[in-house]
Amino acid sequence: MTDKVLYIHKPFLILLILTLIPFSAQAAIDTYDTPNDGGNSITVTWGGEVIAQSRDKFTSLDIQRQKVAESAGWETAAVLPVTDSVFVDDSVKDNIPYKYRIVFSAPEGEALIFESEPVKSSPQFFNTKRLNVLIGVIICCVILFYYIYESRKGKKFYLRPIGGLQAIDDAVGRATEMGKPILYSAGRGKMQRVATIASMNVLSSVATKTAEYNTPLIFPNSEPVVAAVAQEVVYEAYLKAGHPDRYNPDDVFYLTDSQFGYAAAVDGIMVRRKPATNLFIGTFEAESLILAETGNSIGAIQIAGTDSTIQLAFFIVACDYFLIGEEYFAASGYLSKDPMVLGSLKGQDWLKIIVGGAIILGAVLETAGIGFFSKLFGIG
Amino acid sequence: MYRRIPLIVCFIFGAFMLIQFFVPHRVSTEFYEMTLEWAQIIYAFALLVGALMLMKHHAVNATRKSSDDRPFSIIVIAGIATMCIAGLIWGHGEGTVFNWFFQNVQAPMQSTMFSLLAFFVASAAFRGFRARNTQAIFLLIAATIVMLGRVPIGELISPVIPQVADWILNVPSMAARRGIYIGIALGSIATSLRVILGIERTYLGGS
Amino acid sequence: MAEANGKRFHTRHLIFLLMAIAVVLPLIFKPGLPLRVTKEVQDIYDYIEGLPEESVVIISFDHEASSLPEMVPMAEALLRHCFRKNLKVCGMALLAEGTSVGDANLRRIGAEYNKEYGEDYIFWGFRPQHEVAILALGEDITREFKTDYTGRPISGFPIMQGLRNYQNVAAVISVGDGDIPIYWVNYAQARYGVNIIPAITAVMATTMYPFLQSEQIVGLAAGLKGAAEYEKLLNRTGLATRGMDAQSTAHVLIIVLIAIGNIIMFRQRGGKRS
Repeated sequence: MTDKVLYIHKPFLILLILTLIPFSAQAAIDTYDTPNDGGNSITVTWGGEVIAQSRDKFTSLDIQRQKVAESAGWETAAVLPVTDSVFVDDSVKDNIPYKYRIVFSAPEGEALIFESEPVKSSPQFFNTKRLNVLIGVIICCVILFYYIYESRKGKKFYLRPIGGLQAIDDAVGRATEMGKPILYSAGRGKMQRVATIASMNVLSSVATKTAEYNTPLIFPNSEPVVAAVAQEVVYEAYLKAGHPDRYNPDDVFYLTDSQFGYAAAVDGIMVRRKPATNLFIGTFEAESLILAETGNSIGAIQIAGTDSTIQLAFFIVACDYFLIGEEYFAASGYLSKDPMVLGSLKGQDWLKIIVGGAIILGAVLETAGIGFFSKLFGIG
Repeated sequence: MYRRIPLIVCFIFGAFMLIQFFVPHRVSTEFYEMTLEWAQIIYAFALLVGALMLMKHHAVNATRKSSDDRPFSIIVIAGIATMCIAGLIWGHGEGTVFNWFFQNVQAPMQSTMFSLLAFFVASAAFRGFRARNTQAIFLLIAATIVMLGRVPIGELISPVIPQVADWILNVPSMAARRGIYIGIALGSIATSLRVILGIERTYLGGS
Repeated sequence: MAEANGKRFHTRHLIFLLMAIAVVLPLIFKPGLPLRVTKEVQDIYDYIEGLPEESVVIISFDHEASSLPEMVPMAEALLRHCFRKNLKVCGMALLAEGTSVGDANLRRIGAEYNKEYGEDYIFWGFRPQHEVAILALGEDITREFKTDYTGRPISGFPIMQGLRNYQNVAAVISVGDGDIPIYWVNYAQARYGVNIIPAITAVMATTMYPFLQSEQIVGLAAGLKGAAEYEKLLNRTGLATRGMDAQSTAHVLIIVLIAIGNIIMFRQRGGKRS
């Protein structure tokens, strides 16, 4: 970091130079390549005693820059309030040396100028402010891979019984006995949402059972992509069960992506076709209670699972069984018994212990007035 | 091959999106922006697929005399046709036929559906909120305080009620919700990794 | 699970009737109950009040037509405050149905304060795939929205000069009836650090509390109550303030119904024991 008074182009030239020279060492202008960015950016900061003492005298602050190689004239990069002490210049080119100067000036013509050393901008390949996230990702991956690997080697993992998933068999059986259809809804989540992917896993398992029992499965969708995927999932399940002839593509269809338009349409289907079982597995919003209450009024058995915590309260009141939190994401492993999925569930448990430990440690340290630990979790 | 290509595409893009988060370089951000644009373009085509799927489903229903859904399907097709014609001929700005239908037909109908929540909350609360055990009693007391504390009448009864309601929402309720959130987040991470690595592939239509 | 029966008039129908009465009567008689401004709403007001003039604020109409009665008073109150403070307002929508409503609101409230389209405010229009759109705005706004709602190139408007991405934005207000405000927090705040102001429906309110405590959002305006509180701060009685009395009576009715339900349960239990 270097700084020097260059010249004063207004009156009182000599006087000002004489005034400033003794203080110039205490003033500071610092320029550097803006860190953790994609390039084309230089940060200019300034401060020090001289600037602090003279700020009141000046009314305007110009940031000027010059391409060193071209030795062209100075161009104004920005005009800032005199109280500012940092400027990020996002309009420079990479790998070209620039010099900056800050010019404080007063209406009387008095001016104070500081010039920097040449500086170049360049893009970075790693955002160091996100190092903590990278460490977190690595920890997650290592633990999950380890348990997936253990599981592939043949190690057995215990999965506690999940009431909501155990009830699916009974619910399908009940619909078959009553000769009524099953209604499945994945809510309003888009296909890229993890909850929707988890819902497709449950759907596959449910469809396999409905194929075996020859029970109609109605699946109204609020997303065209989900509808297309669901048609494929259900068809594959029927194929796997050995009954592709029982698959009716008209029972898996797209309705609308309007929230209450969807609720109205599904309510209508429930009232007209009176399903024996309703499965609400996916992302739900305010329409959850409207769907569940209508299902309740027609006497259907209802099982719900969602990642929307607030809707859980509504589902708990109006449904017979429900999946809370990660139970919902465990459904895939629980229903398919795939050892690799079961292994990742075990890994999840260990991650939860680590997160819990970090929360307790953070709470204790913060209470004791030690803040460094919680700062480790900030994302830049 | 039928399964392998989507799995490879999924792995490449999943891994790229993960790595991209840590790489601020211009090449990375340019490619990232391009990927975002692709996602929107794909979605536009998906909407087209959705519209065709909707029309096909209702056209089949409308032509089937035995179908219970026939009148509803006819209304859906008529509604789509009306809005399309109105939008294409007169545009969709303020004062147009399209906007008139939106303001005077669609908005009131949808608001009616939303307002059903008030009625269903009342009936669900009456049916389900019972003091069957100690935990349920605590839940009931908390719910009553929060319901009163969130409206002016709570303040009128006692200024303490809104404060207690805020405490319930900010402390015990939040603690429970955070626990569930953490579980969901970890479940999401594990599921995402399984999808990227091709372990979870049901969404492709089978395993 | 309630078994359906053949009765024409169920208890639930009586409950629906009572709820309708509880909502309608206060709207007719307007008792005007006093309203307390909560810290969450006050924080939003103070933040906007503290912004320098000409700061850029994005307001995203992330709602559908169904929630207009709850969302419009909220959007109106926030827009009035922004225009009163001479902030530059950029409107957009992440749900198609919010588009025409948002455009109409911006123009109407802008006209109230004699604001110029393109100079003081602009409406970019609608973008599908909300998470993608939110992320894209963090990189380059003019790349995501090449034209405004009326089809004119946005880079030609004075309001867009020097406005590249979230770095040039003081806050994003998401007026939303679903979980889109959460996406704004997860993607725009967590990744780009922009300040988020959620204005949401009452039914979604508790989903935002964790973000409030972790200071990932400026404040929280939830439901008709949030809008009514904002109207109070602006010294302006609007639709929301008038609706608060109805909400009070509806809450009281629900509490009374829960009490009756429990009395019935205890009497049935007593009957069985005897």
